[in-house]
Amino acid sequence: MTTNNPYIPMPVAISKVIDEVDTHDIKTFRFTFLNEEDGKNFKYLPGQFAELSIYGKGESPIGIASSPTEPGYVEFTVQRAGTIVPGLVTAALHDMDEGGTIGLRGPLGHSWPIEFLEKKNIVVVGGGFAFTTLRSLINFMLHDDNRSRFGEITVIYGARTPGLLLYKDELAQWEKRDDIKTVITVDKGDDTWMGRQGFVPAVCREVAPSPKNTVAVICGPPIMIKFTLPVFFELGFSKENILTSLEMRMKCGIGKCGRCNVGFKYVCSDGPVFSLAQLEELPRDF
Amino acid sequence: MLKKTTIDKLPELAAALMEKGTLVAPIKEDAGFNFREITDAKQVDLIFHNTIISPKSAFFPQMEDFVRYQTGKSILEAAPVELNLKPTFLFGVRPCDVKSFQIMDIHFSGTGVVDPYWQKRREATTIFGFAFDMNEAADAAEFYHTLGIGAADPEGSDIFMVRKDDILMLKVITPKGEKLMAGLSFPTDASADEIKYFDDYIAKGHDYKTRYTCVDTEAIAREFESIFDNSDFWTKISDACLSCGVCTFVCPTCYCFDICDETLFSQGTRRRVWDACMFTDFTLEASGHNPRTKVYQRLRQKVCHKYSYHIRKYGVISCVGCGRCTRYCPVNIDIFSIVEEAVKAKWYKRL
Repeated sequence: MTTNNPYIPMPVAISKVIDEVDTHDIKTFRFTFLNEEDGKNFKYLPGQFAELSIYGKGESPIGIASSPTEPGYVEFTVQRAGTIVPGLVTAALHDMDEGGTIGLRGPLGHSWPIEFLEKKNIVVVGGGFAFTTLRSLINFMLHDDNRSRFGEITVIYGARTPGLLLYKDELAQWEKRDDIKTVITVDKGDDTWMGRQGFVPAVCREVAPSPKNTVAVICGPPIMIKFTLPVFFELGFSKENILTSLEMRMKCGIGKCGRCNVGFKYVCSDGPVFSLAQLEELPRDF
Repeated sequence: MLKKTTIDKLPELAAALMEKGTLVAPIKEDAGFNFREITDAKQVDLIFHNTIISPKSAFFPQMEDFVRYQTGKSILEAAPVELNLKPTFLFGVRPCDVKSFQIMDIHFSGTGVVDPYWQKRREATTIFGFAFDMNEAADAAEFYHTLGIGAADPEGSDIFMVRKDDILMLKVITPKGEKLMAGLSFPTDASADEIKYFDDYIAKGHDYKTRYTCVDTEAIAREFESIFDNSDFWTKISDACLSCGVCTFVCPTCYCFDICDETLFSQGTRRRVWDACMFTDFTLEASGHNPRTKVYQRLRQKVCHKYSYHIRKYGVISCVGCGRCTRYCPVNIDIFSIVEEAVKAKWYKRL
């Protein structure tokens, strides 16, 4: 039952761990496949996710943070869960070091609709820890092979504090490039913070991207989404041109176990990427 | 090809099937009948109305082991559990339950990723469908006729059986059934009168009434969509619900499952087990967010999934009217009356 069994994870080894934030509860794990064949077959696009699998603990569905333009490995940025619900898998993973082995099932779900995004201007809006698959998308679009396929790229990314910003090295690199507009904001700065202060919705209003031939890709905590969407409606974005990624508790990741069912969709296999127009067809049950 | 044998030869038929593989048939237990693997050919008893638990467990067992592992060891040492299936004979399945396999096929193997366990178990199994006894009234909880399923529908069975007094008629429906029948020596050819009786019986099955309400599945799907936000309706409907989940466990078309790791003294098994949308932690996320904390939200999910979402996703209703959920609900919640109430709900006065 090993060949093509979607429930059996592939073995991977941790090849790099990056401590992302000053609270040390979010780390980026780089995995390399222990079976070369698995690595070759693992073809993904930004926005997809995978199940991280640790025997004896369980599985966690996590968005892929690396871009398919970075061959040889796959990265996930994982928060240690546990303030309200004990996060067995994420805690075990956080306690592992380079060289540790775990399981991986994927890639799962639908990606950001790359063909739909082509030839359009892209506004990427991220809040806090929900920036992971957006980072994948940005790095994908910025790659030399792909940059010409997309119009202007604007990134608006915010975190509560400077210490909670993810991927700080990459943010600095993007800010230096002239083919991407990068706007970084924090809710509250500290003594060393020289950048912008303000909530993401307010910054979006200030930046005011034109809706013309433009798609907004928005991920963040529910409160940020709630106040950001009206800004984009005011700017004139249609519901078809606002994309987001939905979260729901998942187990199988392949549309079989029923857990992430919302209306006539399974978030895992029909999503997790949805346009706002698609979400409005679903009952408010997520 | 219609064959026949006599009821007193049932143990002989059972023994012949047991020689060829695994026989699963209803046997009488303390609480009632259930499908079990037969170990003694004399256990097979066709004097039952229907089983407590649906026969879905033949293809979707309550526990399916995926992997054995040892904690503290590399993932490379974990070993997938092989499914070594013998030919299996699922004997005495009522037509509404046979229909449930076809509905579940769409989900598990007909769309998207194929579930290898469901598919392999289905392939290994030959189904002996068995018509309801139409000399008796239908059980009060049943409503399969309302959903367009006859009391003697042979579709979906490999061999279909009708009982007439002491005679058991067996009709081959599929090539799989034909192959099996060819290897059985003792059922004899039925007479012309018996063939007529059999054909008439199957036709009569479509007129055999269960609880009667006219159901337009498309309209019901829309109705449920329109009353989703009517929390007064759902609160009233779920007033008595204990959220125990028994309705989902006895249901032939409920397929939700959990994947969990069970470790004892460093030896562990990853397996899937039946789960239920009626349980509060079913949708509890690691962040603490849970969209269905209230009983009414979970009962709404169950009912809407079966009578609305499933129709929109797969084009079929996720219910066969077997009546088990109503029969075994400890607080007498009747799913079909929820459907009836939903149709009336547009006139429902807000409390």
